Amino acid sequence: MAQFLTRRALSLIFVLFSLTFLTFLIGRLVPGDPILVLMGPRRDPDTYARLRHLYGLDRSLIEQYLRYVGGLLRGDFGLSFRYEGRPVRELIAQGVPISLLVGGLALALSVLAGVPLGMFAALRHNSLVDRGIVGLTLAFYAVPSFVLIPLLWALNLAAYRAGWPSLPQAGWGRPAHMVLPILVLAAANIGYITRLMRSSTLEVLRDDYVRTARAKGLRERTVVLRHVLRNAILPVLTMLGPATAFLVTGAFVVENLFTIPGIGRISIEAIGQRDYPVIQGTTIILGVTVVIMNTLTDLLYRVFDPRIELE
Amino acid sequence: MRPDFQTSPWGRLVRSPLGALSLVMLALVICAALAGPLIYPIDPTTPDFAAINAAPSLFHPLGTDRLGRDTLARLLAGLRISLLVAVVVEAINIVVGASLGLLAGFFGGWADALISRLADMLFAFPGLLLAILVAAVFGAWVTENYGATARLLLVVISLALVGWPLMARYVRGQVLGLRQRDFVLAARALGQRDLGILRLHILPNITGLVITAATLDVVNVIVGEATLSLLGLGIQPPSTSIGKMIVEGAPLLAQNGMLVAAPAITLTILVLLFSFLGDALRDAFDPTSR
Repeated sequence: MAQFLTRRALSLIFVLFSLTFLTFLIGRLVPGDPILVLMGPRRDPDTYARLRHLYGLDRSLIEQYLRYVGGLLRGDFGLSFRYEGRPVRELIAQGVPISLLVGGLALALSVLAGVPLGMFAALRHNSLVDRGIVGLTLAFYAVPSFVLIPLLWALNLAAYRAGWPSLPQAGWGRPAHMVLPILVLAAANIGYITRLMRSSTLEVLRDDYVRTARAKGLRERTVVLRHVLRNAILPVLTMLGPATAFLVTGAFVVENLFTIPGIGRISIEAIGQRDYPVIQGTTIILGVTVVIMNTLTDLLYRVFDPRIELE
Repeated sequence: MRPDFQTSPWGRLVRSPLGALSLVMLALVICAALAGPLIYPIDPTTPDFAAINAAPSLFHPLGTDRLGRDTLARLLAGLRISLLVAVVVEAINIVVGASLGLLAGFFGGWADALISRLADMLFAFPGLLLAILVAAVFGAWVTENYGATARLLLVVISLALVGWPLMARYVRGQVLGLRQRDFVLAARALGQRDLGILRLHILPNITGLVITAATLDVVNVIVGEATLSLLGLGIQPPSTSIGKMIVEGAPLLAQNGMLVAAPAITLTILVLLFSFLGDALRDAFDPTSR
């Protein structure tokens, strides 16, 4: 276990280094002098030198990187290029809880829907219900989110026109605003988790201990909940890392189309304003979230299934 | 038809129903995109002021957008862009990714360490995050200094940055496996040199796998390009791509659904066709993988 933890910690450090270093480097490679842009029509060398120093651009590249990482550890993402001297942290702070809420709920929904759907399909293997679930989840998985969004919008619009209860098409503020974005974000992951849960349940159903449990005369309910579910759900755990990674790209699309003031929308707005430190900050936050999820998944998997020897 | 074609992977591909169907359909789509301007000579950027936001009619089979531009013509133009980006990105993935993976897997040692660490560094970015970052940071500067074609090249490069490490890792794994196989060990025992083994035994065995992996990855590239365009990081107006059409048409959904439906359906079909073809290729080249 100690060896596993050491190796995991080393790879964690390498991933965090890669993420911050490449993000820093790409931000520094931007052509043009950001200070000149910041100064606008002001053209005196004193202000130039002062701003250059304020933004730390008068130091060597390595020094700048170390200071950047040091700042990150304290939750400091540097200063905005657009709003002189304003910390990036202030600009993105409001977006973080919003994106976490929407992403977290989408992840929860995909597990809560995918696990029962997959098990249900497996328990009725090769039946019409099974085929239906497999077909539906395949469609969920194959249709990109920005095709699903207009489809949901069209359905919602039709419901509105027919005088049925409908949801707001976009915006932010009320819980109803979250329904469509969460559905869109969850769709592909529901598809993936259902398929995974179905195949792992089918495998577990063939295992000896399930046959033993049945032979002991346990009720089907007990067999399914106590023996099948607990073992079949393990592969789903490994999916949480990749599922979060998928949500990260999804957040950009969904937050922009639904005008949700989360991290994805803040970055896209920052791109329009060429506020590169903000884009760097959001990239690192999103990347680190996925790194944390991946590490947690690995550790959890190890705890839940001591048979597994992780590389 | 020569008898050895029948038993070759290509023969298997053509004879499998899914493979044949997706090949024919894709060929049709590609021909439509390439020959589009010849058989449907309407300019995708010229507005028809008599038909603004029009429903499908005889003159505009899929209607027009809010500037009176023909939707079918724009769809064909967008399709060309999507396919062009896919082809170039996969070419880079194969030339850079597969070659580096081959080097890493076959020679091992410091080449492997260097290439694998470099790929690992890029893997630190989940999903399209790296592509979004690169396209965002350099986008405006590239357009201002080098124009629209260079901007498209930037999209290609940012998507290839995400794609090549996957290809390199896949090929490396396959080559590592092949290196242990009896026929390679036999060739080595017979005194064949590295380059000979590479050319005669390794390359023929991974070509099919690389083509399969690239075909399956086309789906990621098409969706990736559409995502970048949708975020305003891809191709810039007045040019268009499928993703851009969806995002431009979305606000007009209530008035003119065709503006979104046409690109959305096209994109879905394209994604499905490439995944079917990829699956059929995998079955043809690696019959044991099922």
